[in-house]
Amino acid sequence: MSNTTITPNDIISKAESLRNNLSTGFRDEIVKSIYSEAEKVANRAVKTATDKRYDLDQKIDRLVTSPITGLPIMLLLLGAIIWLTVSGANVVSNAIATVLFSLGDLGRNLFTQIGIPWWLTGFLWDGIYLGLAWVISVMLPPMMIFFPAFTFLEDLGYLPRVAFNLDWMFKKTGAHGKQSLTMAMGFGCNAAGVVATRVIDSPRERLIAILTNNFVPCNGRFPTLIMLATVFVAAAFPPALTSFIAAGTVVGVVLIGVAFTFLMSWLLSRTVLKGEASAFTLELPPYRKPNIGRILYSSIIDRTIFVLWRAMQTAAPAGAIIWILANIHLGDSNLARMIADWLNPFGLLLGLDGVILLAYIIAIPANEIVVPTMMMVYMGAGMMINGPSSNNAIFDLLVNANGWTMLTAINLMLFALLHNPCATTVITIYKETKSYKWATLSVVITLGTAFLVTFLTASIAKLLGWV
Amino acid sequence: MNITVWMATALILLAAILLPRVGLAAIYRSYRAAQEREQVEDALKHLLDREHQGRRATPESIGGTLDLPRAKTIQLIEHMEAQGLVESHGIELRLTAEGERWALHVLRAHRLWERYLADEARMPLNKIHGEAQKREHSLTEAQLNELDAALGHPTRDPHGDPIPSREGKMNRAEGMPITAWQAESPARIVHLEDEPALAYQQILAAGLRLGQDIRVIEKNSHRYVLSDGESEYKLAPAVASNIYVTALPESEMLKREAIPLAELTHGQRAQIVALDDSVQGFTRRRFLDLGLTPGTAIHPELANFFGEPRAYRVRGTMIALRNDQASQIWVKPV
Repeated sequence: MSNTTITPNDIISKAESLRNNLSTGFRDEIVKSIYSEAEKVANRAVKTATDKRYDLDQKIDRLVTSPITGLPIMLLLLGAIIWLTVSGANVVSNAIATVLFSLGDLGRNLFTQIGIPWWLTGFLWDGIYLGLAWVISVMLPPMMIFFPAFTFLEDLGYLPRVAFNLDWMFKKTGAHGKQSLTMAMGFGCNAAGVVATRVIDSPRERLIAILTNNFVPCNGRFPTLIMLATVFVAAAFPPALTSFIAAGTVVGVVLIGVAFTFLMSWLLSRTVLKGEASAFTLELPPYRKPNIGRILYSSIIDRTIFVLWRAMQTAAPAGAIIWILANIHLGDSNLARMIADWLNPFGLLLGLDGVILLAYIIAIPANEIVVPTMMMVYMGAGMMINGPSSNNAIFDLLVNANGWTMLTAINLMLFALLHNPCATTVITIYKETKSYKWATLSVVITLGTAFLVTFLTASIAKLLGWV
Repeated sequence: MNITVWMATALILLAAILLPRVGLAAIYRSYRAAQEREQVEDALKHLLDREHQGRRATPESIGGTLDLPRAKTIQLIEHMEAQGLVESHGIELRLTAEGERWALHVLRAHRLWERYLADEARMPLNKIHGEAQKREHSLTEAQLNELDAALGHPTRDPHGDPIPSREGKMNRAEGMPITAWQAESPARIVHLEDEPALAYQQILAAGLRLGQDIRVIEKNSHRYVLSDGESEYKLAPAVASNIYVTALPESEMLKREAIPLAELTHGQRAQIVALDDSVQGFTRRRFLDLGLTPGTAIHPELANFFGEPRAYRVRGTMIALRNDQASQIWVKPV
């Protein structure tokens, strides 16, 4: 007895033997005792007066979750945010573009003056710099408006109510109600939407949200959709209605994207992501006065800068490649034209053309540069350009000079909506899932859907003799 | 020139086939070894199962369970005998001590996997057996201990069967013979004594089984009448004494006066009585984290037009649950 020493192993084996005597519910008991202890402390320290704010909260809750007022409020808020983003960003984008592009001119002139060879100047300023400038001017302004507005609703406590309202639809497709929030975030940026899926705590539902996020068009794809809606769809209507028709068309495209999100969620939860719905628990916090300082910090630093930095890393090499393709001449054509011609039969099969496919392939890093790249090839320019300034001139360039039809415009909208995530998003999916398999699947699913849908619409249109 | 090309091709081909570990032959060998190991383990499990049921295992029963032709079965048994895993006693086969140790390891792997698949991966209950069947052969003892610890040392699989401990003990619930059971309250059958075999056969023939909840409705010196609420079972006292029972789990008792949370009407105040036993792992932790502990006051506060989810006021905060979840929480209206 006197010289027995107790080793760690003795303690472990004693604990192991004692474990068998525990009742099965001992974990519940531990949590229960922690909670009752906390309750005691809270009762001693916290005094609750009759709460007027609580009544107000209840009134707001009834308003925002009622079937009559709840859904309109939700659509109105989402519409307002998107409108604010698109129209506000347009002005800022142009300003930033002007500044950045004239800086580029300055740099190019300086390089030319001190006798640096044209190809190095072109590669650096018309390639890499222009790619970066384009991505920053198109991407930064909408994100700086969208993310703070979104975070404002988040801070207010409204967003969980959206998930609460819409969960029944997501339940039907085997997904989680909070996926509605990650989709809303996707309007800002799909990469940010993928990061936002962290709020979904069950792995199966989270993967569904990640893999389908790309069906929501992001800020980078909105300009393409708006341009096409304005030039092709709205042009057929009286000028007074133009902006409404264009907006309506974009909303329609977004709704098609939402329909595809549900369809794909449903398919996934019946095939590769089979399983039962996990615990759905959603906290509905009391409404709070938003903290503006924190909103700005978290939306600008955590979201905007984070996303922009990743996009810039991929846009720089893309800009370089685009410049090289446009400036290597073989005979009287350049490399970009030749690849576009080679891709043309395949593009026509999908109701698109070779230039569009080429633009999408080299714009994989960032969807913002799809339109400038297309314009570059169509106009035979040596660098990405804005295209003609008036809608009529764009229409003329695309339809009369390059053989576009209504089918091309519609299929390009569908393709822009459904095609693979940009490189930034794919990298983010890999980082969030730590799996090449899921990152690859996210590309296969979306690209497959895009090919299939555009192929079908093109075939149907040709069969019915519309084109 | 030509000969060198041929020789190089032959060398490369030879290497592709014969290289240790990465060569085709090695891959085939390790595939065969894994397949053989699976067969051995399935046979061991069958023998263990038969022993627990008190039935004899024979070459025919092994061949039937593993779906093997007779010649292959005999080969398998000879192989297992040579490894010292089984012994033949006439036609009957029995596990050796070593064989039993291994069989328990596989059984433990199977049941821990089932627990994992049901609780953490949330796989439907009818799928977990097949999946566990595939995965049970791949874990080492150390990995199994880790899985066991990660799951919180569960004692039963989702079907209620005991999981062997790491020392290879089956944690059978003790229980007492039903003849010693005093209370009027219902009891759960936790063990059917298989010796003597004649009594065991009678119990099984009567239709009683493990995990059944029963009540003694009549007892005297020459017969016992048990009921599970639907059928009645009549047994001689000597036979009945081979049925071991325990009290129902506490939550099961509490549930009798409770209703599921989902059935509360709007604004109806209630107190949480228990979380259902079928809620384990991830979901249970989530509920407990949110403070849905027994004794907590709760009431539905916000309905959804589409029926679900519904939000409940609990501990001053509001938590929305789908009806599937709310049906797993038992409450007593106050």
